[in-house]
Amino acid sequence: MATDADRDVDGIDEDAVSWSDPLPAVLLVGAVLVAGAYATSVLDTAAAHLVAGRRLRLGELVLGPWREAALLAHMRRSTTERPDVQTWALAPALLAGMAAVAVATVPLAPGVAVADVADGIVLFGAAMALVMVGVYLHGWSSNSVFPLVGGYRFVALALSYEMPLALVLIAAALPAESLSVGAIVESQQGLWNVVRQPLGLPLFLVAGMGLASWGPLGMSDGTDLAGGTSAESSGGARLVWALARRFVLVAVAVTGAAVFLGGWHGPVLAGGLWMALKTLVLLAVLVGVGHRVARIRLERFVVVAWAVLIPLALIDVFVSGALVL
Amino acid sequence: MSVGPFGTALVVVLATGIAVLATRWLPRADGPPPTAPERIPFLGGGVPEVHAWSRFHIRYYAMALLFLAFDMEMVFMYPWAVVFAAEGAIALMEMLMFITILLLGILYAWREGALSWAS
Amino acid sequence: MGLLTSAASRAEVPVFPVVGAGGREAAEALWLLPGVRMVDTPRAAAVLVVIGRLTRALLQPVLLVHDQMPGPRATLWWPVDGRPADDGTDGDEGLLAALPDVVTTTAGDAAGLRAVFADLLAGRRPWGPPALADIESPRWRGVGPYGHGGEGMMGGVPYGRPFAEMAQDPDGLMLDQLPLQIGPLFPALPPGLVLHLGLQGDVIRGVTLGDNPYRSWPGDPPVGPLDSVPFLDARTSPTTVAALEVARARHHLRWLARTLRLHGLDARGRRIAALAGGLSATDRPAVEALARRLGRDRGLAGATAGVGVADQATLEPLGIELAGGPVARAAGVAIDARTDDPAYAGLDFEPVVHHGGDARARLRQRVAEAAQALALAERAGDAVRSPGPPVEGPRGPLAPGRTMPSSSLIHLLPTLLDGQEWGDAVTTVASLDLDLEEAAVDQSATAWPQTPTGTSTASTRTP
Repeated sequence: MATDADRDVDGIDEDAVSWSDPLPAVLLVGAVLVAGAYATSVLDTAAAHLVAGRRLRLGELVLGPWREAALLAHMRRSTTERPDVQTWALAPALLAGMAAVAVATVPLAPGVAVADVADGIVLFGAAMALVMVGVYLHGWSSNSVFPLVGGYRFVALALSYEMPLALVLIAAALPAESLSVGAIVESQQGLWNVVRQPLGLPLFLVAGMGLASWGPLGMSDGTDLAGGTSAESSGGARLVWALARRFVLVAVAVTGAAVFLGGWHGPVLAGGLWMALKTLVLLAVLVGVGHRVARIRLERFVVVAWAVLIPLALIDVFVSGALVL
Repeated sequence: MSVGPFGTALVVVLATGIAVLATRWLPRADGPPPTAPERIPFLGGGVPEVHAWSRFHIRYYAMALLFLAFDMEMVFMYPWAVVFAAEGAIALMEMLMFITILLLGILYAWREGALSWAS
Repeated sequence: MGLLTSAASRAEVPVFPVVGAGGREAAEALWLLPGVRMVDTPRAAAVLVVIGRLTRALLQPVLLVHDQMPGPRATLWWPVDGRPADDGTDGDEGLLAALPDVVTTTAGDAAGLRAVFADLLAGRRPWGPPALADIESPRWRGVGPYGHGGEGMMGGVPYGRPFAEMAQDPDGLMLDQLPLQIGPLFPALPPGLVLHLGLQGDVIRGVTLGDNPYRSWPGDPPVGPLDSVPFLDARTSPTTVAALEVARARHHLRWLARTLRLHGLDARGRRIAALAGGLSATDRPAVEALARRLGRDRGLAGATAGVGVADQATLEPLGIELAGGPVARAAGVAIDARTDDPAYAGLDFEPVVHHGGDARARLRQRVAEAAQALALAERAGDAVRSPGPPVEGPRGPLAPGRTMPSSSLIHLLPTLLDGQEWGDAVTTVASLDLDLEEAAVDQSATAWPQTPTGTSTASTRTP
């Protein structure tokens, strides 16, 4: 495994697997995102049926997401009177691209990392910041009231939740003495971060849910806004937007699994399999919360983010720092 | 050709973006093109009187300024996290002082109503 | 049929419901149908389901919403038993004929709906043609003879519509305010509610109520059947107390289910709607447990506490304080028509009261009243209530000469909604439990709803 001695002067780890041609990297990240989005949809259906007390049929559960996708692919794209066509098309692409970057920074198995750079969590934070741009553009570009309101509401929430997200990742970086996600995973050899930094994972999940606009923090695409930013999307546009949102959720879950749940560490099974299992656990938690907790009031939860979550995240940072010393 | 990790990340972003954009050209059944009423934005059955694009009042502008301050704090905390273990308790105390000043800023902003805007 | 379309035909049918007159109960049955998914916007819908009677005022919005569905699209009509398709018009062509290719099935018929959907995807049904003429808005229209200019800074009419004008804001800024008509078919509002409001940012300024689309004119079929049919029947004919109280509990649980859906809890709402469908007095423990769980739910508490406060001071000018109903009781006014009703004398009845008058108090009030209603139903046994004293309906008292509760409650909206953020506004409107058809009774030519003869179909329909 790559150690500190192998790190180059400019901080790039030359011995880690850095693909010599990008095609396998693209395929790997794409596979992770698509598999994760499918898993999210399956978990969502399962959670919805469980909570609603409906009978769950295996065929419906497994094939449901494909059928939905097929239906959306079949329906025609509509448009509005004077949208901004370019940004409407680019918004899902931006969102998916940012989710891809986030997944790329995470080591998915020992030695398998697409872009395990020395400042992986900075790259993750930057990608999450651009998610804000993607969602806002999606709301603005259709020139319709409810998507516009959805976009602006999301920006208010995302601005508030960027801070706790970055702070808990920094707390996890303290024991690893490095900002690279691979180093953070290695630092969890003996003890997972979820144990030695108990505040970290809950805060990360809340902030991640806010940035992915999911569940109770789903300000951008809510029912009260007639579908929010996707109120005017139909057909293929609706499909890629739903996929992109799920990609962001998967990116949050993958990063959470790596940074807090020990990444690919685990006794018997292969590292990649452990990553997959841990990601699925986090996705199940995120999806389950979405069906149990009511949508927040925006202002009230912005206050919660600034007055509760950020101080808690700071406490997390300082306690972890004190423990490291 | 080795493009290094950042290059790979860039290729991944571009490839994902292009893949999403390329879905526009997937073959699907054709129907008649959208009529003018179809393009009217959905308002629950009514017709909008004005374009939605407007000077939207972002009431949370004060909170956005607070975010800027904390974003700059993040810039300082990233390198601090890397050298923290080597520097020891001094680093902890210094960051504690820095954060306390910023927390006082949050408190001030909260008291001044920067975090509540819709009443 | 290709692989894509054969897979798509087995997906859940995305449906956009249009609740016509008398269709409210069936619309809730639509939610619970297996294989059917209710969507928030016609852009996501493949099938438009018109439930109940289409009124004249609903026609234009329905045609527009129909056209806003992208292809492939189909329209279904679910008639409500014994009611005509639409407001009476001369000749065979009714209003419904303005919608192209309407398929008539029976209400609650999931198989028929899925069959239409499968046909649509397989190509056996044509993609629904547009209902409205394809009249393009002019791309730019100015004021001058050469198409230039316009008034003020926002001159001209680009792409057929002007830009928003500015308005004063409490912040002291002059920023744009969008004048909107949130139409009768907006899914987050009660069906038929039309609001004319100004939206400044995401805050509402200045609400006026639009015309009630369910009001009937001389010569039209009468309003109804309302969802408070058992209570209306109780005015004139003897009813068992148990039946009345179970109907009350069912009503409140259905309201709760709809409200939970608006709060993003579709699955939880569905469970409660299913419970409400088969409700009987023996479900009292389940409903009491539900009330306790909801009382402890911090998420819902956070979403509804302090929202839409309608306290005694707000209610007084509208006479609601004197009229009672859960809204008044949630504000601390302990008025209930059942206290003076001799049929409830031996049942140890005390009105449930909450304080605060906000959406949270109203939520807890209705759930507590549902639990209390089932307890009363158990205690009442076979007791029969004789007609005479005013009936306490689920929204307020019903008596001849009194306005229907919804007619008074709807006038709370301009006061309550002004200055509220959009999400809070939706919560507030939902917490008032408005029924526009009930409000239409007081605006119609006929003074009182004529309930259908025979057994009321509304409350016995099970999903």
